[in-house]
Amino acid sequence: MNSARIILAFIRKDFLAEKSYRLSFALGALATIGNLAVFYFIGRLFGAGLAPHLAPFGTDYFGYVFAAMAFFGYIGTGAGSYAGRLRQEQTQGTLEAALSTPLGIIPMLAAMSAWNFLFATFELAVYALAGIFIFDLRFPAANWPAAALVFFLSAACFAALGIISACFVMLFKRGNPVAWVLNNFEGLLGGVYFPAAVLPGWLAAVSGALPVTYAVRAFQLAVHKGAGLTELKGDLLVLAVFDLLLIPASVWLFGLAVTRARKAGTLGEY
Amino acid sequence: MRIEALNIKKVFPAPVFSGITPLRALDGLNLAAGPGVTGLEGPNGSGKTTLFKVLAGILEPDGGKVTVDGQTAGARRLRGLAAFCPPNPRSFYYRLSVLENLRFFGALAGLSPARSAEGARALGARLGLCAADLERRFDRLSEGNMQKVSLIRAFSRRAPVVLLDEPFHALDEKACAGLVALIAETGRAATVLLSSHSPALLAAAADRTFRLEAGRATAP
Repeated sequence: MNSARIILAFIRKDFLAEKSYRLSFALGALATIGNLAVFYFIGRLFGAGLAPHLAPFGTDYFGYVFAAMAFFGYIGTGAGSYAGRLRQEQTQGTLEAALSTPLGIIPMLAAMSAWNFLFATFELAVYALAGIFIFDLRFPAANWPAAALVFFLSAACFAALGIISACFVMLFKRGNPVAWVLNNFEGLLGGVYFPAAVLPGWLAAVSGALPVTYAVRAFQLAVHKGAGLTELKGDLLVLAVFDLLLIPASVWLFGLAVTRARKAGTLGEY
Repeated sequence: MRIEALNIKKVFPAPVFSGITPLRALDGLNLAAGPGVTGLEGPNGSGKTTLFKVLAGILEPDGGKVTVDGQTAGARRLRGLAAFCPPNPRSFYYRLSVLENLRFFGALAGLSPARSAEGARALGARLGLCAADLERRFDRLSEGNMQKVSLIRAFSRRAPVVLLDEPFHALDEKACAGLVALIAETGRAATVLLSSHSPALLAAAADRTFRLEAGRATAP
């Protein structure tokens, strides 16, 4: 079966479904700019007061949080969208219908969140345009090839975490510990809204076990300080190890979860 | 193509700590069908839908096996061979048009958009679904028309095995007649299994009919 055709079919279907909720579509884009404005004014309020912790990144608070939110907004799509899409298909009753066709696990995983990634790309463009034209941000030192590599490794890692999260939805429908951790602790411990160096020692240790910490730090350094492969090699290596472990494990676990649901007869349940 | 269910067992486990006993849906069921049209009758809860889902590769049986032309066929192979029409329409995207739904599910079954659209128009005409209904959003259709869309999705795959669970549900008399003719035509090239609670429609559509009771089939 042609995987590209499957992916396009999912994108078209999800786009048409999203488009049918017109107001939500427009509000989504506006919310992005609204979120940025909040941090812009926080940055103005404190000015350079947070500079000691931000010094390694060579930027002010708003520059830091802007880059982290744009980056995390995209890679976080992988973490949240698989479980979200799967849950939506369960409640609509379309999951069993889709899985009664010859659709394989890998094309399904590639297709299921394709629309979410496309929309996240659109949001990223909104971020970039808002950053440049509304908030007057510039990244003169940025090393974009290095940032792209961090981006790619991080997006793959978070997509794998998202697929593992979707396994819980496949088996238990509601109650998803992976999503709970991702939603509640990644932002707090991963250095998205403030550098992880602000955290006390014991929390910093937990932060060190999360891929988001390495991803955000490496991206910030590449974008603000122009860090290259030499400076980023430690973070890149950790992200690559996470990818090597999590990607095959997530696909395997998702296949097991689908088989288990077929056995238990719960594909059509929600 | 001949499809056989051999000693198929399927038990749905009860939720943990629920105090409910597991549901034995299929209890060593044996059945052979095809080529041609085979009917299934039986009371509610006799295991017809579970059998269809096992034959369609949607459900994995707990025991026994399914063979196709004498060869054991796993769930994955069955999903490639069989087109299934479920007993209710809650398997479509309600906010998408009929054509968009058929285009999407057609793509999952390997059909091009053109072939899906062509199948929708040709089969729609035979079942009494007009061109305007094909453009309409799925949730704005009547229940009978939703059922027609479900039938079109199954027939347009042109699969060697077609499984129709309660296909006459909610259809008017004219659509039932159109469906009987379509089933007869499909049965010349494919193996068709269908269930119904109407003895008259089963007699009109099927060459022979099995009776299911308590998860077992009785030969005609």
